[in-house]
Amino acid sequence: MWTYIGTGLAIFTLMMLAGILLRAAQAGWIPVDPGTFYSILSLHGVGMIVAMAIAGLGTLWYLVRREMELDERIAYIAYGFFVAGVISVIVSVIPGRYGSLWTMLYPLPFVGTYWPAWATGAWLIGNALVMLGFMLWCAQILGALLAKYGGVRGMLAIDYVFANRAFTQAGRKPPPPAMFAAAITAFDGFITGTVGLVIGTALLVHLIDPTVAIDPLWAKNLTYLFGHSIANLTMYMAVAGVYVGLPLCTKRAYHTSPQLAVAWWATLVFVIIAYFHHLYMDFAQMQWMQFVGEIASYLAAVPVVVVTVYGGVMLAHRSGMRWSLGAMFLYGGMIGWVVGGVGAVIDATIPANVDLHNTLWVPAHFHTYLLEGVLLFTLGWAFVNIEQRAGAVSNLMMRWLVGLGMFGGGALFVFSFYIAGAAGVPRRYAVEPVPGPLWAGVATAGAIVFALGFALCVFEAIRLMRLPKGEVAV
Amino acid sequence: MGTAYLSFEIFVVVGALAIIAMVFLANYRSQEPLPQEVVTSKGYALRRYWFWLVLVVSAITFAMTIPYFPYSAAKTPADAKHFTVVAQQYGFSLPAVVPVNVPVVFDVTSRDVNHGFGIYGPSGAIVGQVQAMPDYTNHLAMTFTVPGHYTIRCLEYCGIAHAAMQGEFDVR
Repeated sequence: MWTYIGTGLAIFTLMMLAGILLRAAQAGWIPVDPGTFYSILSLHGVGMIVAMAIAGLGTLWYLVRREMELDERIAYIAYGFFVAGVISVIVSVIPGRYGSLWTMLYPLPFVGTYWPAWATGAWLIGNALVMLGFMLWCAQILGALLAKYGGVRGMLAIDYVFANRAFTQAGRKPPPPAMFAAAITAFDGFITGTVGLVIGTALLVHLIDPTVAIDPLWAKNLTYLFGHSIANLTMYMAVAGVYVGLPLCTKRAYHTSPQLAVAWWATLVFVIIAYFHHLYMDFAQMQWMQFVGEIASYLAAVPVVVVTVYGGVMLAHRSGMRWSLGAMFLYGGMIGWVVGGVGAVIDATIPANVDLHNTLWVPAHFHTYLLEGVLLFTLGWAFVNIEQRAGAVSNLMMRWLVGLGMFGGGALFVFSFYIAGAAGVPRRYAVEPVPGPLWAGVATAGAIVFALGFALCVFEAIRLMRLPKGEVAV
Repeated sequence: MGTAYLSFEIFVVVGALAIIAMVFLANYRSQEPLPQEVVTSKGYALRRYWFWLVLVVSAITFAMTIPYFPYSAAKTPADAKHFTVVAQQYGFSLPAVVPVNVPVVFDVTSRDVNHGFGIYGPSGAIVGQVQAMPDYTNHLAMTFTVPGHYTIRCLEYCGIAHAAMQGEFDVR
């Protein structure tokens, strides 16, 4: 688990520094030519998603292994695929200068390129390797869950929900909450990986033989289905850390309920079909897809606010919980998820999307989700483990400093995206129109404060890890 | 459409309420802990209402947004003026003048990669947009009520000069 989480956080750190450089360039503080800008942006985007995915997959693997036998070698082989893929992607950018961004839309990256064809190949192959590793992980976990709980019926607790009395009277138990996160990640992940490999293969074939035609609307649908799903799944992976970590912090129990099971069934379905919301401005799409996109996007929020976040608030409320860094991050991550969700649901509303699509509002909402949601869940889970093992928590001043840095700096950073997006500043602009550069400057300042808080947090984690094993549970 | 600032206001208000509520609930009387069963018995009872509230608000909001969907080529009057827009790396071919207070339809396509036809009004706000795709023509129906100078920006990443890809027309 620590290999996965450590690798994920290491990639995150490098991508964070790249991100600060990008925002500073947009503020006009550091000169970066557009070609270099888009190459770094390409790496930053895919790197962050893959970093969070690797960390989340590590957490989930560990939690599944606590419930059943898993062959460690498969986790390491999958890890090998991830590392190989990451190296290939890095090489495609440095020195390859690949600059088509991570959700590039065919006919990109074949037209108007400023990098050699081999860099495109390295990018596509690298992403394919990561997807193969992901699908290997999904296959192992799915197989283990199906075997342990008795097929899909048991894994998704169908009898527990529809024949609850008979189920409980027979002394049977449903899977624990974190196993639902694992099941949905593995199942939807398999679909996501397959779609990613299909579009990736199509693009690789076109690279080799440009006479092979690809329909751009088909390509766009597959690209967004893949990209949307993998990004969203990082959140659903990381939430398993909340399901196990927050009860530890609050010294309360968190059990599966029929409502929790149904919430995850809804997530299983709505997370995938909400992807249509990326194509609202594609009037060539069939209209029913636009309707489905909006309602699915709304419904995807229901399990989150009604079950997971509500449950988290109930765990914390009047629990006497000590606000260690682990607790702060797990609870703070839920707040970030909700705030990002408000931004997302607004953007997923078609009349609002007309004015917000492809403005900075888009990175606004996903940076909120990722930085103040997924990352915090990952750090929170890591800290809960470290604190429990050490039998110690950080002192008050350290907690305040880290909190101010990561919540305060983070808030300033994402707020700048929202306000610039509402003002119509487009996303993915190496040089932004007014008032873009002003808000990019504010964002850079916020990001630097965040990075300082993050550095303190890493320092604190190392300090706690070096303490001898504590006698007392925190 | 001018909804961007409304979106921002809703975001700030709802976001702030969410932060305040979650921080408050976690800290309220935290010095006097309660057993979990006491919290959950009230919490689960309240959750039923919360669930229906969220579902009903979602459904009503969804229904209210439908009349404002932009896929209205079918609703456009047959005598709307059509203008062809062709995007390519890195410029737009556009009409120089678009009439005010008259239904118009932009027939938008691309010669190479995906671009975004983003229309910015005289005040600098986005008034409409649609994707410009190769092999497809998208129809954006609009009626301009404010005369003046309009700027077009590319709103779909299309390559190294994406940020410089602009156009303009006058509405009068």
